[in-house]
Amino acid sequence: MRSEKLASWRLIEYTTIAVEITGSIALGLVVAGSILALLGYDPARGIFLLVFGGLRNPDYLLSRAAFIAMTALAFSIPLLAGVFNIGGEGQMYLGGLAALLAAVYSGNAAVAILAGGLAGAALGLIIGALKAYRDVNEVVSAIMLNLTLFYVIVYAITAELYDPVAPHESIKVPKGARLGVIRFGGLKLHIIFPLMLALVAVAYYLLYHTKLGYEIRASGFSPKAARYAGIDPKKTSVYSMVIGGFFAGVGGALNVVGFTYYIDNLLTCMYGMGFTGIGVALMGRNNPIGVALASIFFSMLVLGGSRMQMLMRVPKEVADTLSGVIIVALSLPYAYRMLISYIRIRRMVGVGAEQHS
Amino acid sequence: MELSSIVSLFILALSPMVPLLLGSVGEIIIEKAGVVNIGIEGVFLLSALTSAMVSFFTGSLPLAIFVGVITGLGVGAIFAVIGVYLRGDQIVAGVGINLLAYGIGVIALFKTWNVFGASPPVATIPKWVVAGHGVSPMAPISVIIAVLAWFFLFRTNTGLKLRACGEEPRAAEAMGVNVMRMRLLATMLGSSLMGLAGAYLSIDWVGQFTRQITAGRGFIALANVAFSGWNPITAIVGAFIFGFFEALAIYLSISYAQPTLGYVFRTIPYIGTLLVVMIFRSRGRAPAALAKPYIKE
Amino acid sequence: MGMGGSQPAVEMRGITKVYPDGVVALRDVDFTVRKGEVHGLLGENGAGKTTLMRILYGEIEPSRGEIWIFGRRVKFRGPWDAIRQGVYMVYQQFSLVPAFTVLENLILASSSMGRAKLQDVRRKAEKIEREIGLEVPLNARVEELSVGVQQKAEILKALMSEAKILVLDEPTSVLTPIEVRELMKLLSRLREMGITIIFITHKLREAKEITDRITVLRRGRVVKVVETRDVSQEELAKMMVGREITFDITKKAAKAGAPLLAVKDLWVRDDRGLMAVKGVSFELRAREILSIVGVAGNGQRELVEAIVGIRPVEKGEVVFSGESITQMPPSEVYRRGLVYIPDSRAVGLILDFNVTDNSILTRLKQFLSGGRILWSEARRYSSRIVKEFNVLVDSLRTPVRHLSGGNQQRLLVGREVASNPKVIIAAEPTHGLDVAATEYIRSLLLKLRDEGKAVLLVSTDLDEVFQLSDRMAVIYEGQIMATGRPEDFTAEELGLLMGGVKCEAKS
Repeated sequence: MRSEKLASWRLIEYTTIAVEITGSIALGLVVAGSILALLGYDPARGIFLLVFGGLRNPDYLLSRAAFIAMTALAFSIPLLAGVFNIGGEGQMYLGGLAALLAAVYSGNAAVAILAGGLAGAALGLIIGALKAYRDVNEVVSAIMLNLTLFYVIVYAITAELYDPVAPHESIKVPKGARLGVIRFGGLKLHIIFPLMLALVAVAYYLLYHTKLGYEIRASGFSPKAARYAGIDPKKTSVYSMVIGGFFAGVGGALNVVGFTYYIDNLLTCMYGMGFTGIGVALMGRNNPIGVALASIFFSMLVLGGSRMQMLMRVPKEVADTLSGVIIVALSLPYAYRMLISYIRIRRMVGVGAEQHS
Repeated sequence: MELSSIVSLFILALSPMVPLLLGSVGEIIIEKAGVVNIGIEGVFLLSALTSAMVSFFTGSLPLAIFVGVITGLGVGAIFAVIGVYLRGDQIVAGVGINLLAYGIGVIALFKTWNVFGASPPVATIPKWVVAGHGVSPMAPISVIIAVLAWFFLFRTNTGLKLRACGEEPRAAEAMGVNVMRMRLLATMLGSSLMGLAGAYLSIDWVGQFTRQITAGRGFIALANVAFSGWNPITAIVGAFIFGFFEALAIYLSISYAQPTLGYVFRTIPYIGTLLVVMIFRSRGRAPAALAKPYIKE
Repeated sequence: MGMGGSQPAVEMRGITKVYPDGVVALRDVDFTVRKGEVHGLLGENGAGKTTLMRILYGEIEPSRGEIWIFGRRVKFRGPWDAIRQGVYMVYQQFSLVPAFTVLENLILASSSMGRAKLQDVRRKAEKIEREIGLEVPLNARVEELSVGVQQKAEILKALMSEAKILVLDEPTSVLTPIEVRELMKLLSRLREMGITIIFITHKLREAKEITDRITVLRRGRVVKVVETRDVSQEELAKMMVGREITFDITKKAAKAGAPLLAVKDLWVRDDRGLMAVKGVSFELRAREILSIVGVAGNGQRELVEAIVGIRPVEKGEVVFSGESITQMPPSEVYRRGLVYIPDSRAVGLILDFNVTDNSILTRLKQFLSGGRILWSEARRYSSRIVKEFNVLVDSLRTPVRHLSGGNQQRLLVGREVASNPKVIIAAEPTHGLDVAATEYIRSLLLKLRDEGKAVLLVSTDLDEVFQLSDRMAVIYEGQIMATGRPEDFTAEELGLLMGGVKCEAKS
């Protein structure tokens, strides 16, 4: 009796995933189409543009994907350890700012990206340590930091770091520190996309081929068993937050130093990317490779949305929300399955969270 | 600072206190039953939206308040179905509510008023004037609600049943309590209070509906729950303290009317909240069965 | 011993329960209990005793069969329904809210059957306490009470709901011998008052002591219903297991070697910060099995966790093979050849990891090169374990969650034993396993001992302890009461020691 059960689990797993993905896409498209129809637009044309419109500009598409993949990893990796990192937004802002300053002062792109990563990592460390050693709910501390950093950085750019020629933009990343484009044939591609692929590979390797990755996953699944094996779940959760913060910071840095080359004073180039990273992470089922694919898909939606804006006069917010709907539809089934059999998200409040796991 | 400024600050603190207090008390009821709803922010936003819309189109304040409360109740019911009956992850569902609410708010702003940032002003509740400042009747009402909630939770048999669901649902079930139903009702009740808070935001305090009307207050209310040790009475004190931070920010913005510095002042409530949760460990114990879905065998 | 002439208190006829996955838990069971008697329901783990009672209680629906209470046909929709009709079941895990006081728990229970005012509940509780001679502090929080008192509170709750039929599921498994004696006295008093009692147990001694009649279950079927005074323990044992059980397993004589593990004056705190281990010292030698015997919750787990390094040591020293390993991290301890098989598979294994991942859980370092995990080596080790210990699995990549309990235990035990350790600490190694798996594990432990290793066995199963140990150490409230060979202890001395009463030192 047992062996039939074992043989079929894999079949069930894969079928479930396939059904989930197709079902969610269908559901998302239906809902999005209904919203369009509700608002008086042509749903069929709108959906087509939304999904495929982004393919016109592959360079832009992949570069946006690079960015969002980083914030998605920033959420995924701590989640595997059982920590909810929604501070990706703030970590990304600070990373972008740190990268900008480092680029200006050092003139070197690598230094800038490293600076961005470290800034994000520092924030991750704060949130992680507060949670592990002082029982501070990581959602609350993350949101507080996000909101604080938003205003502080806006202030910094508006009051100090603005470009005299264009006052609602920050000072620019110097030419020597910019990550540029590579060209082959007649095509061009920003370097940040291959960079992102490399970083995703690093994340995958870290999670599945290193001691730390093993410990992170173990602590997330069963803190008690982890402790039995000599792993310290608290320390591991802090490490996971540091890594997550690092990726978010790098994301911000890649955007600033590799694509936009400045920050505008309302942070619109980065706004909301931390939160959408969460959706992308869930879409990619918390697996680095899945995240890479999901971020490309997401990027398609974003650019398709702009296309929709342009050709059908659909306002930006509506396009954003439509993308949101599709993302939610794709993430919900995984999110729903998450507590049923997989990771136990640590208790938010209360002392001795490990005892209750 | 002169005395009159301090008094002003205290009175100014009453306004932000109301949504924080109502949100915290609502969440305390929910968490005492064993459920975690971090979508407080989303509930605030949605009920602020619906009350503003009702007030705008009908001009009837009682109806607007009612609709706001009902919105909270409805969202709470949906959340409870997902998190309690379907046993979905309550944290993820809560985050989802927040994101979804934001999106709905944006669409609604566009569809109803054709704007992207803020709605036109709507009718608001008349205020009392105390020492030169407007104070809403909701301030004392929210305090009374908090006291009533304390009485309900700790001095009635139904409250006892509710708390049993949060501590040891297996035992509660064995003693005849329908744990899932109690958790559903608790969530609906708590979310109604959050709905009331949302209504307050748009039709009482701010006077319009904006995209950013909640400004993280839902999370500050969440911090207050742990800070107050899951006790509605101490939540009053906590809500007042957090409200004070916000009043301070507003006061400083007005006094030093420099637009860029205003950004810095606006961080005061958030930094203040962060410092408070860092320094003061949560008193009292969380309900033992918090956020654990109850699985009947 | 009153026997109400007319109707039996409980009559269950033709009860059958088949689970959706095909497991037959009960097969055509007839169960009758006379009014006012104490009736024992005897059987091994998995015989179906608890399932039968849960069907009576309305928690589980039978696939077939009928139930009569006092001559009336009933079908309870749930525990509250049963309680309202006078049936009350006391589980091994009490249905009390730990954070509430006893009185609050009573109010909670009463309010589910109608309005309950504080004074009324208190008055009624005090009245019952007087009549029965129960003493339960009403205003104490349940979590602060000892297990024996908690059980009394649970029984008080039953009496408050006017229970006429009381079902007790393995009530003595968490009690000290003295508390067991008190419980027996209490049950006699209740019987005098006319209350019918159903006593579920797998312990032959108790069944003989307290019951009037016994129904023996084996693999979901009724073997026989007997009058207690007409039957011996050996006959009951044979009915329970279905064959002659040897009370003595063939064990080669003990020839202990050099000391491998020494624990010196160890003090350890528990999760609440109280001292759980208070100055424990002992020595474990090669080629011997030393058992730590005691009722669960007397510091055994804290002791073992401290030895292995999972828990901090307040005072004292642990020496392994001449090296002080006090406060060494567990991975280091395991690497040196001291392994630990915990009492829960949810702790020893990560259920969501696959077989290979779990195989390297306790010795990651061995499979690392630089920072890289050598998965090919891991897979090799993993298939060795699966082969040597007969773990039934079709692929190493199967999540361990999908394995049966017995196979999970084989994996867990195999993983630790395959690393060729010098000392094995095994906590409750056969808990919840069927007879075949139990025999396998026990003979494995004996084999390890004969090969020259040392085994520290922590078990609450006295039969197991007597079968396997060369020496025994009784633990009570964090202290070793006495050490000696199994032959040196009479049953009564053992009971007293486990209950905290010191005798003269043995050895």
